[in-house]
Amino acid sequence: MASNPPFRRVLIANRGEIALRVARGLRELGIESVAVHSDVDARCAHVLHADHAVPLGGNTAAESYLDVGKILAAARRSGAEAIHPGYGFLSENSSFVRAVRDAGLVFIGPNAEAMDRLGGKKAAREEAIAAGVPVIPGTEQDVGDQGLIEVAKKIGMPVMVKASAGGGGRGMRLVEREQDLAEALAAGRREAKASFGDDRMILERAVFPARHIEIQLIGDRHGHVVSLHERECSVQRRHQKVLEEAPSAVVDEDLRRRMGECAVALARRVGYDNAGTAEFLLDEQGRFYFLEVNTRLQVEHPVTELVTGVDLVHLQVHVAAGGRLEQLLAGKDLRPRGHAIEARLCAESPESGYIPAAGLLRLVREPEGPGIRVDSGVYTGWEVPPFYDSMLAKLIVWAPDRASACARLSQALRDTAYLGIPTNVDFLRRIVDDTAFRNARLRTDMLKLRPELAAGPQDGPEDLALAAAVLCQAVAPRSGGAGGGTNGAAASGGSTAVWSDLAGFRLFEGSR
Amino acid sequence: MKVRKEYVRDGKPVAVVAEPLDGDRWRVRVGDRVYEFSAQALGDGGVKLAPKGQEFERSFVAYGAAAGKDFMVRVLGRTHTLTAPAGRKGTGGAGADGTVRAPMTGTVMDVLCKVGDTVAADQTLVVVSAMKMEHKLTAGVAGVVQSVAAKKGGTVDQGAVLAVVEAKA
Repeated sequence: MASNPPFRRVLIANRGEIALRVARGLRELGIESVAVHSDVDARCAHVLHADHAVPLGGNTAAESYLDVGKILAAARRSGAEAIHPGYGFLSENSSFVRAVRDAGLVFIGPNAEAMDRLGGKKAAREEAIAAGVPVIPGTEQDVGDQGLIEVAKKIGMPVMVKASAGGGGRGMRLVEREQDLAEALAAGRREAKASFGDDRMILERAVFPARHIEIQLIGDRHGHVVSLHERECSVQRRHQKVLEEAPSAVVDEDLRRRMGECAVALARRVGYDNAGTAEFLLDEQGRFYFLEVNTRLQVEHPVTELVTGVDLVHLQVHVAAGGRLEQLLAGKDLRPRGHAIEARLCAESPESGYIPAAGLLRLVREPEGPGIRVDSGVYTGWEVPPFYDSMLAKLIVWAPDRASACARLSQALRDTAYLGIPTNVDFLRRIVDDTAFRNARLRTDMLKLRPELAAGPQDGPEDLALAAAVLCQAVAPRSGGAGGGTNGAAASGGSTAVWSDLAGFRLFEGSR
Repeated sequence: MKVRKEYVRDGKPVAVVAEPLDGDRWRVRVGDRVYEFSAQALGDGGVKLAPKGQEFERSFVAYGAAAGKDFMVRVLGRTHTLTAPAGRKGTGGAGADGTVRAPMTGTVMDVLCKVGDTVAADQTLVVVSAMKMEHKLTAGVAGVVQSVAAKKGGTVDQGAVLAVVEAKA
């Protein structure tokens, strides 16, 4: 493959771990990568790893990674032949896909028409109904706040209100009481407006208890669509995925085949021709309901890669260049092998209501060992900017069976350290070590039902931790000298070296 | 060289003093308890620690780093964020002191109170959007709103005071 790469140079319209992961995949194919970056991201990990980098200027997503004109100008300037959008940002924006095409470039993702037909929740739901895929009772139209409240009364509480344009949990809320509907719709509209520039909302019956099961699809430009089976992403907080795994402990071969066939039928119907994911809820009776299609590579794609042995970024590039799946997948046994679990490592504090954090990462130590993959976008000394998503890295483990994968993930999390800002690492380990998770008793509301998993232990630091903290400062090379003679003065701000250094919790200085 | 720090544990300050002995050995006093460790810096920010004087010694690597005015230490797979008594900072959201602070740098989406309002502890006073998510900031204490610094649409820095509530006795 590397001797005859499908493109010479590809621009990655994204940042952080996914831009880095795509750049790696491109390099393996013998393709040069072009990174783009905002001002604060000039030294972000993805920029350091790419072959070329083009500054976009600005800092907010709107003035950098979401600016179609700037991205296309960067592609022209760098001589890129194709654009990989990653996930988020412009990845599901069909106007962007058309603009890329009109600029004479290849978009590494689905065609704009298929994206339009599956992109919005409403459109996707109508296509699913037409393709014979089971859907949840609800409305496909934003009939205004009063109309939506009427629909909710008809189908019964609880209901989910969702952004029509949505994805990623933005604008999505579970509403249990009728009197809370108006406020939920108002808040949802604000979030939807801010995230997608479109404040339309839809509403449907909440299926509870449920598991989140999704089917990874890959299509080519010759009408072929293949299912790469399910992932289970039931561990969610506020509708954002926390842990994802493949295969699902509750999906047998028959269910896998039936869900796969539904997803493929839907994709074929709209002429889908790249990587995508059909999301479903699975209830306790084994009935599944279509939720939405994500018309892009997903955050959690690595678990599918580890159990099927395919490289989804490679496949995306090849099919975008016109490659045929029957050749690309020829002779491959795609049945899931072993078990993979992904943990999203985020700069946020589950112990304080999942408040996201920004700031300087003073120490990054990522785990390694057999069956451990880390897709990271940070390094020691990187200052996490406050403008984008809070995900720092993904930790993905593979083992021959689920129990071994859980044990491996727990140990890998134990060996993970991101110090300087709050992260969810300990929270993730509490979930992985929980009996319900170990026994695969998963449901989408499990974190809501078990607030103690987020809250964590309430005991103060034990003597060992306090002793270790002071010894770290006593013997570490950079603070070793400053430690002496400061004594209690440090606490009152009397010393210079250590505490003036510590005060360097700069949120914005790099950007202003 | 001797290092002395104070950290808050269960609401009370604890003095922690590390004194070098010979070689890589240290005596560490935590409050009124005394321990002995060997400690070796590894160069990657980690410190190999072995407690002494116990039946068997279980050594481990601790990682420590500053986090703002706090100190974070990762020991045996758990991260502790240690706060110095004088260096306590507002963590954002509701404070038991009635001061509502921005949890992080963001934009004020809505201001739901005005000076003189009587508010409940769990009442939302300000809505801040940061990292693409909305955060409802509650009063924290029941009382009367004394001041409102937040302005709808304005940008706020982490820790900025958005509103102050005087607790009702």
